Amino acid sequence: MTERKLTRKELVKRAGVGAAAVGLGGTAGLEKAFAFAGPHKYTHKDLKYSLSILQWVHFVPAYDTWLDNTYIKVWGQKNDCDVTIDHINNTELAARAAAEVAAQSGHDLFMFLNPRADLEDQVIDHAPIVQEVNHRLKSKMNNLALKSTYNPKTKKFFGFSDGYVPDPVVWRHDLWNDVGESPATWDHVLKAAPKLKANGHPIGIGMSNELDSNMANIALMQCFGSYIQNAKHQPVINSKNTVNVLNYMKQLYTTGMTNEIFGWNPASNNTYLYSGKGSLILNAISATRTPEQLGLPFSDDLWIWPIPAGPVQRLGLEHVMGVFVIWKFAKQKQLAMKYLADMEVFYKGHFLNSQFYNFPSWPKAVPNIGKYLAKDTHKPHGKYTILGRIAQRYTANLGYPGYTNAAVSEIFNTSLIPSMFASVAQGKSTAQDAAAAAQAQFNTIYKKWRDAGKM
Amino acid sequence: MSSVLRRFLGPRAVVLPFAIVLAFPFYWMVVTAFKKTTELYDLSSVPFWWHDGVTLSNIRDLFEHTPYVTWLENTALVGVIVVAITLVVALPAGYALARLSGGWGQTMGVGIFLTYLVPPTLLFLPLSRVISDLHLSNSLGSLILVYPSFTIPFSTWLLMGFFKTIPPELEDAALIDGCSRIQALIRIVFPISLPGILTVVIFSFSLVVNEFIYAITFISSSHNRTLSAGVPTDLIRGDLVLWGGVMAATLIPSIPLALLYNAFLNRFIAGFTGGAFR
Repeated sequence: MTERKLTRKELVKRAGVGAAAVGLGGTAGLEKAFAFAGPHKYTHKDLKYSLSILQWVHFVPAYDTWLDNTYIKVWGQKNDCDVTIDHINNTELAARAAAEVAAQSGHDLFMFLNPRADLEDQVIDHAPIVQEVNHRLKSKMNNLALKSTYNPKTKKFFGFSDGYVPDPVVWRHDLWNDVGESPATWDHVLKAAPKLKANGHPIGIGMSNELDSNMANIALMQCFGSYIQNAKHQPVINSKNTVNVLNYMKQLYTTGMTNEIFGWNPASNNTYLYSGKGSLILNAISATRTPEQLGLPFSDDLWIWPIPAGPVQRLGLEHVMGVFVIWKFAKQKQLAMKYLADMEVFYKGHFLNSQFYNFPSWPKAVPNIGKYLAKDTHKPHGKYTILGRIAQRYTANLGYPGYTNAAVSEIFNTSLIPSMFASVAQGKSTAQDAAAAAQAQFNTIYKKWRDAGKM
Repeated sequence: MSSVLRRFLGPRAVVLPFAIVLAFPFYWMVVTAFKKTTELYDLSSVPFWWHDGVTLSNIRDLFEHTPYVTWLENTALVGVIVVAITLVVALPAGYALARLSGGWGQTMGVGIFLTYLVPPTLLFLPLSRVISDLHLSNSLGSLILVYPSFTIPFSTWLLMGFFKTIPPELEDAALIDGCSRIQALIRIVFPISLPGILTVVIFSFSLVVNEFIYAITFISSSHNRTLSAGVPTDLIRGDLVLWGGVMAATLIPSIPLALLYNAFLNRFIAGFTGGAFR
């Protein structure tokens, strides 16, 4: 019996149906949707293609379960493709990427948790995927995703952002109530911190060489009007506002935190909160989801708010920026591009199965997002509704007000910002000296990447 | 206090604090491995015991929801093969450097040992290319190829020192009695060197079990991982650490290793100190 060859048009059509089914979210409805598409053409047969993906171990374990056991299986079957996802811990992503680049061999798709503009030469231009999604969703990606993945100098998309994770402040309402405060502004935080610490519940904002500390420290800087670079991509860290924010953090540490924050790692925010000790952290909603699942006694008292307002503005960062790249050496570039486009177009499943953790880079990919957020039944009721506003109004890209570029990526990956904060908080240098030293380091980094023609 | 009592209590009083400090991590592992997750996060309960009862759920999750058994098998397989390769190379190399290479032996021995000191954090990048070119990516073969690069130098240096403690007259006598050099090695030198060889076996195996950088960068799929990469990847989910599972996963392999060390403790010490006074 000769096997009828699948035309490209048919393949795309069937894939669209399959992805639509997955987009419904979860396994519910999958069978019905595929019944509509007809019997599985490749059931019990070897799939023709293979697509390998490397991404992090998601902070919401249920998401990985759905992705690995449902989404990629359905998508793969509809695309005659055996999809494998290898998960590694987020802290090992950089080393693994470096190894793949060194070997010029590895996965077809590699997901980072922050933009890696410094790897621009190693990846394809992802513009065709962006255009495809724009066309299919009849809308454009949000500004956050654009500024996180596009290099205006080289006119290249050095990555494809499927989604991002808003970074609210998570705080214990009961503990803050005891001291008669709430974290509406950073001034309020500073006032409440000594009382909270005296009650055995310090603030937990990391100043260590890791992702969460980077995000929290840069977000705090923005609230004080301090930036790594300006809109023209010139380093401007040595400013009065930086000195102010460094002095603020030193005071906050001295009065309201413990030295644990200098050994912070990506698990520390949550661990601090789960232990019942921490009274406030800056973290994505995995910090509230786990207590809900474990039934920890204070889970109903965990409130989510936008980042506290600073003297200049209220503006945070994304907690995680999902950025997929397709290496130039990837074997299945076309398939990888199709996977990403389908993923974005049918992002609802990713949003729901991540329990609102993953927000789409194309807002229209999940219409009426507020409706889903409001439906969450955990107490206090409606607490996740605010996430929509945080995602839209208070979430900036790394390198704001400019684009994320290679220099910003290097500064982020080498954790120069948390080091600057820690050095002042520990009294190793004054705020003025630390800002000046950072400026000198940044100048060197910016010059290197300008000389390389990347900015 | 009688002198007998003093002799009995004296050494124990000195050793006891060290024993408590060294045994505490194991105790903590046992307590946490069998503790309920909710109790782990309850700061009001004293953490050194179980208050809500013991649970086997952490162990069950480990075996039912992660490829833990596969990680154990992979680790054992890689360990055994790497130890075998190490012995095959390091035994003759150590002997040759101790006996046959004259004054150059010591210098070369130190030189070989220095290669052991090059950190994997520097080597994993160029080695990635080698592994890829050999089509060993994401296979245990990559680890079996790379691990001897640090077990052999150390073991050669260790054995070299040990062989120097063995009087050459023993081999001379064997040679006079008609043995070949190889026969003298196998019949005379190696049996006497058993403490040194055991040290190499245990030490190399421990290095393999503990290695992390190569294991995480050369292996990407969960089912091909060894313990050192599998546990932190599958049981530390970003900002959520499954403490009970982590402790159970580390406790289980540590028990046979501890028994192994204990069984051969005297020989192990002899192996390490064998060349110390030459």
